Amino acid sequence: MESIIEVNNLAKMYQNKQALNNLSFQVKKGEIFGFLGPSGSGKTTTVKILTSQLRYTSGRVTVLGAAPDRGRKANFLGRIGVLTDNSGLYDRLSVYDNLALFCRLYGVPESSLGGLLDTVNLSADRNTLVQQLSKGMKQRVTLVRAILHRPEILFLDEPTSALDPVNVLQIHETLRQLNRDGTTIFLTTHNMQEAEALCGRVAFLNNGEISALDTPLQLRLQHGDKTITVTTPKGPEIVGQDAAGANRINELIRSGALLAIHSNEPTLGDIFVKLTGRGLE
Amino acid sequence: MTFSLNRLLAIAGKEWKDSVRNPQILLMAGMPIVFSILMKGQLSEGNAIDRFTVPVMIAIAVVGAFVQALMISEEKEKNTLRALMLSPASPVEVLLGKSAMTTVYTIAVMVVCMLITGIPAINIGYLIIYILFLLVIFMALGTSIGLISRTASETSIVGLPILLFFVFGPIFAPGLKVSFVMDVIGFIPSYHFMEGLSAVVHDEGREQIWLSLGNLLVWMVLSTLLVLFIYRGKRFDK
Ligand SMILES: Nc1ncnc2c1ncn2[C@@H]1O[C@H](COP(=O)(O)OP(=O)(O)O)[C@@H](O)[C@H]1O
Ligand SMILES: [Mg+2]
Repeated sequence: MESIIEVNNLAKMYQNKQALNNLSFQVKKGEIFGFLGPSGSGKTTTVKILTSQLRYTSGRVTVLGAAPDRGRKANFLGRIGVLTDNSGLYDRLSVYDNLALFCRLYGVPESSLGGLLDTVNLSADRNTLVQQLSKGMKQRVTLVRAILHRPEILFLDEPTSALDPVNVLQIHETLRQLNRDGTTIFLTTHNMQEAEALCGRVAFLNNGEISALDTPLQLRLQHGDKTITVTTPKGPEIVGQDAAGANRINELIRSGALLAIHSNEPTLGDIFVKLTGRGLE
Repeated sequence: MTFSLNRLLAIAGKEWKDSVRNPQILLMAGMPIVFSILMKGQLSEGNAIDRFTVPVMIAIAVVGAFVQALMISEEKEKNTLRALMLSPASPVEVLLGKSAMTTVYTIAVMVVCMLITGIPAINIGYLIIYILFLLVIFMALGTSIGLISRTASETSIVGLPILLFFVFGPIFAPGLKVSFVMDVIGFIPSYHFMEGLSAVVHDEGREQIWLSLGNLLVWMVLSTLLVLFIYRGKRFDK
């Protein structure tokens, strides 16, 4: 499939601090691609570079066929949507007025706002001033602002870090729907459940370097220890994925002693620790 | 990229809705009006033209420049300027859209000031040109101050002294009789605004009138270029 983002040997230095080092990856058109990494690993730096908010030190970056930091870019900006932790709203304007402004800037009809506010559960608050909203509600307004022009690529920097579980589920569903409708999504998170729930492919980011990149399933299969936990009336018991293990499971099933059976793939968090020596929090 | 009046008007409309809910801006807009009431009594025996130009200059500096600076630095502080920059709106659309609101406020405040102080017998054509030039210069300076400072409070600390110097320099500096200060004052636009209009009123020959207009024109071009330069520089984070 066609690449919509291509990054080759990207490096970024802040004064004398190396934030990104030799980063290479491609995002294919139509996928949900995740950067999973702890705080300080370089997620925000990457999103800012890809969305033309930050210059980079070296390497090659192509987004929608052009370098994001070159040339004039109204055309480029109309095709991407961005949600980062520095996306602010106008406090003294209502939810609706905030969004209507951006409808006009992007040249899309305001009539689409009703449906979007419904999907993020904000219809009842459309006339509320933004200064009266909770942090989670503001985050949902900024999400609507980032998608109201149906961007070809949506960039999300830790989109659910301020939200409660119910809203997280709802936002995930909105993102999946958007993706089904054709939007490519580039997302960063430090939450392994989020990466697993949404992403077709995940890159592990640690200290500005990618230490693994694959589908969540492949990563788990590849780094699992290939054992199975069976639960019998006597308690859990670990067997190998080999002939001996097969015989043991067979025996338990025949004797009716098998209560539960689980393959032991590690979580993405376990794999992250194994590969980088540090956790995600 | 094509200029879009619709985008400019969208931003201007946003400024309007935002400003009527902002007590700080309404307070600033009232200041020159209070000042011209005070001036009316104070300067009634003095130079008739100063009684008129000083409140106008204060209106332009406080509402045209300082309010503009506050609004822009608030956009920076709250990260809304970033959202505008990430939209298809061009620098010219953003800056003109934001300035439209301030222009309307400043003109409204100036008109009220003039009604209080009275308009001297003066060629209205010159008067309008001088006022518009000075307004553009001060709004450009205010915009630059707003873009440079990181927060609204930084705007007050950095911007207010500069603006006060521009307004009160030409009024009080001659009394100091320090030649270096007078040399500096001789370049600034508010000095030429006062000198030029005084020459128009007293019919002191074309030379001063055109010299001052030329000075304002140069300031206008340079300060506008400065704004565009700074705005483009803000496109990237550090
Ligand atoms: N403006 C900056 N100046 C200097 N260092 C920075 C700046 N922004 C980020 N960094 C550093 O770069 C590294 C990556 O930061 P960031 O991209 O924000 O990580 P993340 O979003 O994954 O938490 C961190 O070590 C951070 O301290
Ligand atoms: Mg971050």
